[in-house]
Amino acid sequence: MEQLKPPRPDSYLALAIISTIICCMPLGIVSIIYATKVNSLYADGHYDEASKASKNAKTWGLVSVGVAVVGLLIYVLIFGVALFGAMSNGDF
Amino acid sequence: MAISKLKLVFIIIGVLIFFGMLALYFFWNPSEVDVFPSCSFYSITGIYCPGCGSQRAAHKLLNGNVIEGIRHNYLIALLALVLLYQAFIFVVNTILDKQIINLLHKPKVTFGILILIILFWVLRNINLFPFTELAP
Repeated sequence: MEQLKPPRPDSYLALAIISTIICCMPLGIVSIIYATKVNSLYADGHYDEASKASKNAKTWGLVSVGVAVVGLLIYVLIFGVALFGAMSNGDF
Repeated sequence: MAISKLKLVFIIIGVLIFFGMLALYFFWNPSEVDVFPSCSFYSITGIYCPGCGSQRAAHKLLNGNVIEGIRHNYLIALLALVLLYQAFIFVVNTILDKQIINLLHKPKVTFGILILIILFWVLRNINLFPFTELAP
């Protein structure tokens, strides 16, 4: 019996690589592992699991990018303000 | 497909943050100015992570030193390759309406990229000559 193939879920590989590079926590690695699972599960015909893995890849990727960006912004705001304060006092 | 208002706000904020960060990395060199956080994974464990060096790389790349930038973190080259390939596939399959098989959909290719990144992570921490080139 030929089953109709549902559309391939996105593996979010690019997002996973971006999060691995910009986020200094290896959370992105988890995202890449899920991205790998999406493709292999889809190839084996496990479409439901593949779309679940796709959602996981997206979540992990977005969370790690989000953590990195928010962390960076907080750091830059705190230390940037301190640095400019020191500069304007002539200590720097 | 209409984009909801909330989503639009998020997209606008995202774009603003993106360009703000580009400006930040364009004007300041992370190896000279203390404004940027150093890698928290490296600070805690003393082991380079796959992303170490990407801030210096971003600064060098934005200022036009492509080779020096890539030498800080070779994964930038991998990312550029993947993004360019995705763009190429998108143009050919969607705009030119062809049916080229996307190599990134093959499980072996994705698995290969995963192995490549983990290998890169391990090798850049080895403090011997050919591998020191990989260190940030």
